[in-house]
Parts: sequence; C-alpha cells; structure tokens
Amino acid sequence: MPHLEIDGKPVEVPAGTNLIEAAKRLNIEIPHYCYHPGLAVVGSCRMCQVEVELNGRKSIVVGCNTAAADGMKVFNSTEAIHRIRSGVLEFYLQHHPLDCPICDDAGECDLQNYYLLHGLHDSRVELAEKRHKHKVHDVGPTVVLDSERCVLCSRCVRFCREIAGVDELGIFEHGGDSELLNVPDKLLENDYAGNVVDLCPVGALTDKDFRFKRRVWYLKRTPSVCTGCSRGCSIYMDWETSRSYKNPQRRIQRLKPRYNRDVNEWWICDRGRYSYHAVDAGNRLTAPRTKSEGESATTVDAVLDRAASKIKAALSKHGPKSVAVIASAASSNEDLFLLKRLFADELKVHSLDVTLSGEPKGKEDEILMKADLTANRRGAVEIAVQPWGGGGVAGDDILAGALDGDYEVLIVVQHDLTRILSQKERNRLGQNCEYILYLGTHENGMCHLADDVIPIAMWAEREATGTNFQGRVQRTWRPFEPRGEVLCEWRVWQELGKRLGHALPAESVADVFDSIGAAIASFKGLTWEGIPPTGIMLTGVSEPPYRKVQSSRPLPAY
Amino acid sequence: MTSSNGTRLLSRNFALPGQANLDTALKRGAYEMLKRALKMKPEEVTTVVKASGLRGHGGAGFSAGMKWGFVPKDVFPRYVCVNADESEPGTCKDRLILEYDPHLLIEGALICAWAVQAERIYLYIRGEYFYPTRIVQRAIDEARAKGFVGENILGSGWSCHVHLGTGAGQYICGEETGLIESLEGKKGWPRLKPPFYPAAVGLWGKPTIVNNVETLAFVPRIIEIGAEKFLSYGTPKAGGPTLFSLSGSVNRPGVYELPTGVPLKTLIYDCGGGIKDGRRLKAVIPGGSSSHILTAEECENLKMDFESVTAAGSMLGSAAVMVIDEPVSIPRLMVWMTRFYAHESCGQCTPCREGTGWLLRLATRILEGRGRRRDLDDLYELAENIDGKTICALGQAVAWPTKSYITKFRREFEALIQE
Repeated sequence: MPHLEIDGKPVEVPAGTNLIEAAKRLNIEIPHYCYHPGLAVVGSCRMCQVEVELNGRKSIVVGCNTAAADGMKVFNSTEAIHRIRSGVLEFYLQHHPLDCPICDDAGECDLQNYYLLHGLHDSRVELAEKRHKHKVHDVGPTVVLDSERCVLCSRCVRFCREIAGVDELGIFEHGGDSELLNVPDKLLENDYAGNVVDLCPVGALTDKDFRFKRRVWYLKRTPSVCTGCSRGCSIYMDWETSRSYKNPQRRIQRLKPRYNRDVNEWWICDRGRYSYHAVDAGNRLTAPRTKSEGESATTVDAVLDRAASKIKAALSKHGPKSVAVIASAASSNEDLFLLKRLFADELKVHSLDVTLSGEPKGKEDEILMKADLTANRRGAVEIAVQPWGGGGVAGDDILAGALDGDYEVLIVVQHDLTRILSQKERNRLGQNCEYILYLGTHENGMCHLADDVIPIAMWAEREATGTNFQGRVQRTWRPFEPRGEVLCEWRVWQELGKRLGHALPAESVADVFDSIGAAIASFKGLTWEGIPPTGIMLTGVSEPPYRKVQSSRPLPAY
Repeated sequence: MTSSNGTRLLSRNFALPGQANLDTALKRGAYEMLKRALKMKPEEVTTVVKASGLRGHGGAGFSAGMKWGFVPKDVFPRYVCVNADESEPGTCKDRLILEYDPHLLIEGALICAWAVQAERIYLYIRGEYFYPTRIVQRAIDEARAKGFVGENILGSGWSCHVHLGTGAGQYICGEETGLIESLEGKKGWPRLKPPFYPAAVGLWGKPTIVNNVETLAFVPRIIEIGAEKFLSYGTPKAGGPTLFSLSGSVNRPGVYELPTGVPLKTLIYDCGGGIKDGRRLKAVIPGGSSSHILTAEECENLKMDFESVTAAGSMLGSAAVMVIDEPVSIPRLMVWMTRFYAHESCGQCTPCREGTGWLLRLATRILEGRGRRRDLDDLYELAENIDGKTICALGQAVAWPTKSYITKFRREFEALIQE
C-alpha cells in the first residue's frame, strides 16, 4: 500500500491506483477528459498533467497513467501545472463553438468547469477562424452528435468497444480533421447506447430524450434503484416539478447511472434508462375504479370497505380456500411482507403466488440485462410469498381454478391477466369469480375485468426496498408524492387488515422493513437505517464475485 | 575506406552493379557475417554491438546494444521491427540501403534477431517507397529460397521469419509505437508511455526491438571489423560512420557516409561542393526538419556528432542536413515546416492536434502580410504549450524548430508584420 502526498496531504492507496483516483480520496480533483475509471487509459486529453517528485527527481506526468508510488509527492496546483492546463484548455477551446447558451450540457460541462478553474483567458481566435464540422448529426436512434463540440476524448468509442462489445463509433481522419463519427454503415444502437451521453464530458453527444427539455441546474437529484429487471441497477433520478408549465406530465427528466461496484459499475442499459416514462405516462391510474352499482366515481375507502366485506363473506361461507391472491414480484419487500402477513398468516389463504408462466420476459445478456423483468422476485422467494401448507396452489393453477369458479374472491396485483387469457376465458373469469380486486399502476385490460381497482404507487414515488437476483437488498428514496389517490401497496394491505380485524401495525416503511428483519431469517440483522446507498447482501448470502467488465491493462510501475 | 566523398563502410557496395541481387551480393560476402554471428552466443553479439558504440540512426540516437539488452528474460515470442518508414523531411538515406543493398539490411536484422532470440522480423516500409518495397520483397524471397531466412537458418537450428509490411502514408507510423500499432492493423496512433520501451512491451504486447534501417545495416559491418575498429570511425560516444542526407542550397546534394563527428564544413564544402552560386550560408538545419535551426555563426566549427550538435542547441536526429542560403525566407520555411506537421499530426492528443493547425494559421498569416504584432509572441507561446505536453515526440518536432526560427530570425518575421 503506497503512501504518498498530494498537495501536501498524505494518503494511502492500494498498489496500482493512479494519481487521479488517489487524489479523489482526498477530495482533490485532477481535471481530466479522456480518463474514466471504467475504461482503458489512453492519456490523450493531457489535462491531468501533474508534477511528481520521487527520490528527489521531479517530472511532469499524466495522472491517469501514473501509478501511485511510496514516498511520491504530487503537486496538483502549482503555477507551472496551472499554466500547462490553461494551455491545453486553450487548444480545446480554439475551435469550440459558442454554443453554451443552447447546449444541453451547459451547467455540467467539463469544458465550462475547467475553464473557470484553469482557463479564464481571453480568446486569441477570431470567430471566422473556427473550424466547422458536423452538427446535429444522428449517430443512432437515441443519440445526437455535435462534432464541433466534441473534444475527441474517445470515451464513447472505448465504451462501445470495451463494455458494450460493439464497433459502432470511431474517430476518423487525422490531425485537426479528426472527427468522431459512426463506423461506416453502422448506427449507435446497442442496448447501452445511452451511456455514451453520460460519458461525454461535453455537449457533443446528447440524448434525444432529454435534449432541450430542461436546463440541468433546475434538476434535483435523488438516488434510486432501477426496477426494469431483476438486476436493480443503482441510478439517480433527475427530476423537476416546479416548472410545470414546461411539461406538466413529466416529473422525472432523466435517469442516470449511479456507481455501484457490485451491481452495475458505472452503466445502465437503455431499457432501464427510458423506463421512467411509465411513471408519468398518460395511462397512469390515479383514482380508484369500480363496476358496482353503476358508480361513476368512487373512493379508495369505499373500495377497501367493499373488498373487506367480500373477503369476510367468502371466508365465513367457504373458508380460506375461496380466496386467492396473485401477487407481484415487482412489489417491494415491504408490500410482499404485509401481504404475506395478512393473507397467509392471519387469513390462512393458501392460494398465494407471484409467478405466472405467461409473464412477459425480456432480453438477457452478459453485461447487465436480465430476462426477468420484475425487480423483486428474489425478495418474494425469501419472504415466501408462495403456496404453502397442504392446500397451497401455484400461480398458474390459481388462474386455472379461478376460471373454473374455485374462488369467490381473486386479488391480482400488477399482472395483466387479459394479456394471458383469451376473450372467452376473460368472460368466464368474470362470470365465475364473484369479486376481482385489481391493484395496478396503469390503465390496462384488468381495469375493465376487475370489479374494483385501486391505483398503487410506482417505485419513483415512494420509499421501498427490493432484493435483486444476487440477494442484494437495496432501497429507494422518495423525491415526490404520488399523484391523485394513489396508495403505496403496503398501505392497502394495512387498511384491508384493519377492516378485517387484523391490525398490521406499522407507521412507516422503515417499521415494516425492521419487522422483516425480525421475522425473516435471511433478513436477520438488517435494519432500514443500516442499508447503505449501494445496498447490502442478505444474511447468509455471499457477495457475488466482483466482476469487472472492462478490458484495461494494469498501470506500469512509476 | 575513406575517399574524397566519404567513408565507405556501409555504402561500399552501393555503386556496384547487381548488389540487390542475392547471387551477386553473395560473391561480395553477403550473409558471411550472419554465419559468423550464428557461431557466437546471442549475448556475445549484443556485447559486441554495445561495445561498438552503435547508436540509433533514426533520430533519437539511443544506444542499439543497450536497447537490445532491455529485452526481459524468459518472455517469448520476441520480435524485431525494422523501421523503414523514413519520412522526416530531408532524410533519404534508408532508401539507398533498401534499393542498393537490401541483403545487408536483412543480414543485419537477422543478426539482431539472433542476438535477442526473436522469432520474427517485420520490415515496415513507408507506403510511398513502392519501388524499394519491390526490391526488398524480392531480396527477402531470394534469401528465403537460399535458406538465410525461415526454418533452421544455415543449419543452426534457429528459425526466423521475415515479413514485409507497408505504411499508408503517415509520418507518425515512423514513431516506434505508432509503427507497432500500424503493424498490428490499427490506426497508427503512438502508444502512451510508460511503458517506455517496446523492448519490454511491444508488438502484440511482446518484447520487440525497433531499429532504423541504417542502424541494423551497420551491424554486419561491426561483426566484420570488430567493435574497436568500428568505434574508431566515430566518436567515443557514437561509434561508426553516419549516412548524412545533404540537401538544400549545395552544389552536390546527396547521401554521404562520413565518420560521426565530421566537421559540418567538410560535409557542406568538401562533399557538397559548397553553396550554390557561391552564395553566403545563412543557416543549417542539422538533423531533419524537427531539429532547431542553427545560424551560420553557430555552424562555424560544428562537429556532426550527437553531443556537439546538442551542445550547439540542436540535435543530430536523422543526420539530414538542410543547407539554407541567404535568399531563403525563414517565415516561408516555417510555413512549409508547420504545414507538414499539421498534416502529419495523428490527432490523438490535444496539444498537437489543435496546436499544429493553429501554428500553421499564424505562420501563414504572417507570411501573407496579414500578421499582427502579437502573433510572434503567440506563436512562441503556443509552441511552448505543445512542447513536451504530448504523447509522442511529434509535439517537440514542431515546437522546437518553431521556437528556434522565431528567436533566431525574429527580424525577418517582424519585417513582414505591418503595423
């Protein structure tokens, strides 16, 4: 473990750490464009030059390609270094267009930031001398390139080759004519294309989804977890609600990956990146619906009262065998725990499951994407939301039984049965089932099939935990309240429990999670407060081996 | 072996007919030194080359024997790359070797490969040399047919294959790591240093010796005459003669083989026949276009070896001596020079990619009489901002001459700048 000094401050880092990473530990930023911890080192931007003294010998090196050595002294803020960086920046800005007022990256642009720190020179270039290159150039279905803004750091090129494993972008021509472009006859259309926008240190690559939507300084940032599949990548939600006149339906403006070494490193897939559109989609359910008594509008309370009385009636007439629940593996640990408490432990309902064989599956690859599109199947397994006892019935059999009229009350969470059933079967289900309660987020066929519908919150609107396929428990934060009469799912079970005479005491999500910690073996010892931002493994489940997807060479010893 | 127009050690067979032909070359002793070297231990060969004081003739002047000694133990396979990407403006010596004595080069490369126990030799010839490429390819084929190249060379049990690759017209592929990248089939972008020496991490990540054509062509001669004798042709720090490419305003431009350390005046006046039309010497570029310019006064007693030229404030480089006489305009020279480097910048790292074009713009503006007073200081400062801040030496190659032109001939620039 080499000990070194950066700007006079001592630090100890693992062998092989470069100077940029070593400085990060001291909250010292060594400016850079081309270096990225997840990609191979190329050392081409020349911004990270620092002065290094070792054994009395001083030299100027690039921080990205220099391994920290024992006894090394690094000078990051000397006059000489400042002059070098200022010189490099001037080269960058020589042909850079004066686009800042209309550039999406303004406010989070490293050219702007470093100019304030290391430049602040007057331009020596006349406007007419500026070189012109491609502007508003479509590199793929989701990303737009402005070549004039590009600093040729090659991060995007390396990302495509090293991480996504495709050859879609390249730097062509040479010298001053160098230009980032598509590889001939190829588009930037891999499943991870959006990451190049995050990697771009300037406004050269912009996301068509976010372009011209918001100035970045208006955005607020909340850490969260992607619920697009069972991996549960760490993300940031960038959201803004105060300027609703701009786009009243859109609260989340974009999702960005959040570094999590053991889950997604620095990346997210495009499927997850654009999944936020569902949160404020036009077909979101914001109010309860009912078919009964010709009511045109109803309240959640009325629906809950009706559901409770239907369940009570069924139980007293035919016992727990007449009630079935098809829960969802997309629900949170807390939702599933209270559901299990109420239906299995208190009401003794055996027909309880989360899995239907007709559920939609997604694409799976070696990088991040999983075929299982639900975020919390592992949690459902751990909490044992599954058939139990002698008469337990699995998901597909529950559905088959419901068609045959085995159940009086059927409760369905999230699953759109109408996509699995034929029109004939749908009619049969409606006739043979006395009462269907649907809990969902979006308008779909179930809203017409079910007798009552309760709108529930999505992950972006609430605090919750999920357990990903590795067995990692991760939590979300709540940036804003759900709209309309939308309820968190666990609240629905709590309210229903109250009406059925089974109190499920909990003031908050934290309370529920702490009770999971007390009740479920694999959650033993976990507390709401104790979940770090990058998640924590279930008790007794070993950490998955750290898998670095990148192909980077080790740093040469200094 | 020294005649009126030079020392004839390396070039002794250049003028003889049919030297590129193997049968003729064999009659004059080609591959005899390979036979001798194969009887020596590989380390012995390296020791002899080290003792001979042979230094790289590609430009950096690094000790060849020392470079060969950098090959890490127990890492195989190893490669030898022959750098025949001779592109430095003013330099035209390697071409003569390729055209007139290709077997000498192949023999030298084979001896080097034996010394470092390499299994393959890659000859990288610049794309513009299509005629020399044909000659060398034929020479390789002949040598292979006769058993000098390939499996079990001359019954020694040692095998070494020779391959020929050509560039596609990029100066930067003469930079040794750019050359390696190009050979690997990639864009010829020089590699980031460290690792500094391809001898440790080179072609396909394996130990690779990259030597200039001239450097390797000297190797059979070292084996022939011995290290001590070879050393006597040069200075104690740089053994052997040097092929000087003499160009510019001289009566007899050409390539001259002279002992390293020869006075510049000998080269210009005895070999080159003096300045054209008896005009006055104004300046000399002693080591290819990327070296600092030297004024006539600075050249007065200059000796042409690495240390002396460095002490005079320039570098011997590839020993391409460009003679500049009075009527030559230095601002015009600068535009010519910066245009070359702006065109040849690979574009990988920022100072060179952005800076070379900027220098060209300013230099052109001054030459065309549109210059501003501050442009000269700007030029100098921009050159300073490129110098030493880049991945490879191309940054220095443009910064050094620029700075020297401005400081030494400032008045000429100022005369063009109208208030």
